[in-house]
Amino acid sequence: MIIKTAKPLDYPVLRAHSIFLTLAFVLSSSFSVAQIEDFTEVTDQMLSNPPTGEWLSWRGTPAAWGYSPLDQINNENVDQLQLKWSFALDDTGAVQAAPLVHDGIMFIPSARGVIQALDAVNGDLLWEYRPTPPTEEFINSGAGTRAAVLPAGAFAGVGRGVQKNIAIFGGMIYAATETASIRAIDARSGVLAWETQVADPTLGYFYTAGPIVANGTLVTGITGCDRYKDDVCFITGHDPLTGEEKWRTSTVARPEDPGGDTWGDLELRFRAGSDAWVAGSYDPEANLIYWGTAQAKPWARVVRGTDGDALYTNSTLALNPDNGQMSWYFQHIPGETQDMDEVFENILIDVDGRKSLFKMGKLGILWQLDRETGEFIKGTDIGYQNIVNLDPITGKITYRDGMIPRLGEELNMCPSTSGVKSWRAMAYSPDTSAMYIPITLNCALTTFGPTERQLGGGGTGPVRRSNYHHPQSDGNMGEILALDIPSGEVKWRHRTRAPFNTATLTTAGGLVFVGDWNRTMSALDAENGDVLWQVRLATSNQGFPISYSVDGKQYVAMPVGTGGASWSGSLPRDLAPELSRPRNGSSINVFALPE
Amino acid sequence: MNNIFTKCKPAILLYSSLCALSISYAQSETVWDGVYSSLQAELGEGVYNNACISCHGKDLGGNSNSPGLVGMGFMFLWEGRTLGEFFEKIREEMPTDRPGQLPVQDYVDVIAYIMKANSFPAGDRELPLEVEALTAIAIAPKP
Repeated sequence: MIIKTAKPLDYPVLRAHSIFLTLAFVLSSSFSVAQIEDFTEVTDQMLSNPPTGEWLSWRGTPAAWGYSPLDQINNENVDQLQLKWSFALDDTGAVQAAPLVHDGIMFIPSARGVIQALDAVNGDLLWEYRPTPPTEEFINSGAGTRAAVLPAGAFAGVGRGVQKNIAIFGGMIYAATETASIRAIDARSGVLAWETQVADPTLGYFYTAGPIVANGTLVTGITGCDRYKDDVCFITGHDPLTGEEKWRTSTVARPEDPGGDTWGDLELRFRAGSDAWVAGSYDPEANLIYWGTAQAKPWARVVRGTDGDALYTNSTLALNPDNGQMSWYFQHIPGETQDMDEVFENILIDVDGRKSLFKMGKLGILWQLDRETGEFIKGTDIGYQNIVNLDPITGKITYRDGMIPRLGEELNMCPSTSGVKSWRAMAYSPDTSAMYIPITLNCALTTFGPTERQLGGGGTGPVRRSNYHHPQSDGNMGEILALDIPSGEVKWRHRTRAPFNTATLTTAGGLVFVGDWNRTMSALDAENGDVLWQVRLATSNQGFPISYSVDGKQYVAMPVGTGGASWSGSLPRDLAPELSRPRNGSSINVFALPE
Repeated sequence: MNNIFTKCKPAILLYSSLCALSISYAQSETVWDGVYSSLQAELGEGVYNNACISCHGKDLGGNSNSPGLVGMGFMFLWEGRTLGEFFEKIREEMPTDRPGQLPVQDYVDVIAYIMKANSFPAGDRELPLEVEALTAIAIAPKP
């Protein structure tokens, strides 16, 4: 369904459509304060090879290295960094922002659908898109959890209203919403061009990951697939001009599909999970997108009613962006049974001429796959989990004795269901040939419980959980782990009492930027992990730091915020109760060297 | 990684002790004894809609990040414990952006609403505001 707020607009001629822009302005509740005149259309070629100072994809490039080639700020001068500007973001939901920068403009996603365009040099607001609040009819429309997400004045619920990333292409900014729609917003004016409802939010569907653009197709992955319903999770491809859906690929094998028998005899409605809640990567040469899927739901096999592999959960999928056809899949943990998610970022690196894909899930296994074929190349268990054994030759996982949960029986798990790695993306530096991974050290006594097997039921299943410090942690929860690529050997570890709560950012200046839950943003020496610079910010660092340049000057931007899911509240509360953070203060903070 | 199991013994003992404590209270009533009123549950629904619904959902079913508050999931988490413990848990941790900041009456009213949603019968009195009194009410399976 296309929600027509205005005639879909052709990219180059937005100013000629002022009448439609006006209509869209009225209907979409955008708040536009300026029309950006100096704006260059973003092409496929620019996305693949962005200008050095630009940050056009959520992790910099489609290969998702999280690496900036800028070196003006480096390990010799980083201790002189100064705050240049800061801009408050809405505190009405979770902020885990991944900003983009193009033509000297920062586009930043905020909570609950808000997107702002800021002057990347001084933080001036150029325009703001603020969606129309839902009607009472919508709020009261159904039993799904998402039908209740937006009461007026809603507070920062756990994980509520988050939009991690947005995409830029042509003259548009693209966003995926907490009400299961995707939007195109005019990058010059902030006016809504079109909105397409992709799924029914009253069934629980929503987005937390934003889209990417691959070979001219807008691709998004849905989440909220934990409740039992007569449909499954999926990834879709859309025409970026109109929002029209071009293809839809299920991330769950239906009973009649190849692999359908991996769910045993469960009906379609009881095949839950496989949420695609982290944005994918893209290899233009192979014309393949790589997208992760989450674990099956309910989490425990005994609760969901099958010990089968449950394809295509907890997998990496390689899809053709033109038609959604699956080129290959690799299931990291078949029949996963403890909430050990493998959905996270896919980092594309060529190693000794072999086109590879690296990723890490909650268990802390660094996977190297052949991204042309999906073949397993190497797995590196960083040694913080006690749940599975990994065959280093085949990449097959087997559960250790006694580690498959039984109903109501307590398990001693490392990690807890929070994982040693989560959405906080790792970054790669080609200068050091190393991966820099935000690790959270934690364990828990965990008991899995039953849930109703009926439409609307299901979910993750209840879990009794008592967190405790990892025995190898010395009371620390945070660790940045630098691993050599491809050997997997540890280069260094940097540990802190507070967990790290952002992605890492690597730069050609020999630096690793990262932020922790306890408000400290750090610059580490990429070679040895030495702390070279630190600053305390308004509240928890949270999101995806970036670096960019305007008129020859390099900047580093760090988002902070609250309301993040995935342990952001529970682990610090239980394991570092002496730490606290303000419950408000979401913002973007930009640093540079003195003039 | 075997050392995990030996090193965490203190945690296991502490957890076990807490569990033992939780069922050592003398309880004279259970949630099936009409210990809240329909009006209180109505008031609690209003509190829930303002402070709880955006995480736990309109149907109280929860999601990946927030536990369900009804049905088998709720009973799995709370059966054998008391309303006093439930009250302490939500007062200490909820709402996540301002834990402990609601009036005590609001927390107790929300408990009444959750009880109604779990089909525990209403009665002609309200839940007490005192932790000790709430601790005397057991969350028990249907008799």
